[in-house]
Amino acid sequence: MPETTRETGTDQRSLPDTPWVLIVWNDPVNLMSYVSYVFQSYFGYSEAKAEQLMMQVHSEGKSAVTAGSKEKMEVDAVAMHGFGLWATVQKDNRG
Amino acid sequence: MARAFKAGRKGITGHLEAAERDLLRNLFADIVELLEPNVPASEDPLAALIGVDMDVTVPDDPALRRLLPDVSREDAAMSLEFRQLTERSLRESKIGALKAAALGLEADKLVLTDDQARQWSTALNDVRLVLSERLKIRTEEDANRVHRMQDWSQADDVESYLALVYNFVSWLQESLVQALLQGLQDRR
Repeated sequence: MPETTRETGTDQRSLPDTPWVLIVWNDPVNLMSYVSYVFQSYFGYSEAKAEQLMMQVHSEGKSAVTAGSKEKMEVDAVAMHGFGLWATVQKDNRG
Repeated sequence: MARAFKAGRKGITGHLEAAERDLLRNLFADIVELLEPNVPASEDPLAALIGVDMDVTVPDDPALRRLLPDVSREDAAMSLEFRQLTERSLRESKIGALKAAALGLEADKLVLTDDQARQWSTALNDVRLVLSERLKIRTEEDANRVHRMQDWSQADDVESYLALVYNFVSWLQESLVQALLQGLQDRR
């Protein structure tokens, strides 16, 4: 039946939430050790993971450091701004 | 001379000379002044209570924009909404950390708990962000140019004086962060 087809086709609730990501941007001011400390202490990442993300920020200019709902990413962004890191929130378009 | 911060059984300890304390006290006070909102919170008591500020705008001062950045590069409306909901409390938490660090300078001995050390690290970082904006540090090359300025006897203009202050605060923060990282490692 056409109704049924239309209904399943537009039921957004059954789709998973589009994940959002928190991007941390490189700058020539924040100390590499400090960025690693923030990633370890705030996100609870291991030293190895924090260092890897920090190096990605440093060498590639940015890194997506965490993902989740838009609201959660905005909470994390405020925390990063509190630490003095520049973080932005965007829809995950990595596919 | 100041000594590097060190992690120990009593917490994180440091040592600063009187002139260095005065310098930091002034820097912390400058940033507090920069962050104090110049317009009172909305008259709506609920809005004031939860820190919402519908009158907020993007700061004109680039140093202030660095402390209170946009949350989206593309979406100005999203950034403004984020500012309305969070900027006032972000200003307050930064001011809180700066004032706590300034208060710590009044004690004879600099002995910091983890929370105090974290507040110190954000306070020192905010000082560095503002100084970097005044020193126009935009690239790694700019940072290296400023870093090469190490000799106080050569400080003959405002920029070289600011560069020396920036280098001192950077050194202090690096030593504090190393002590904080040591503390994280010890607890693992």
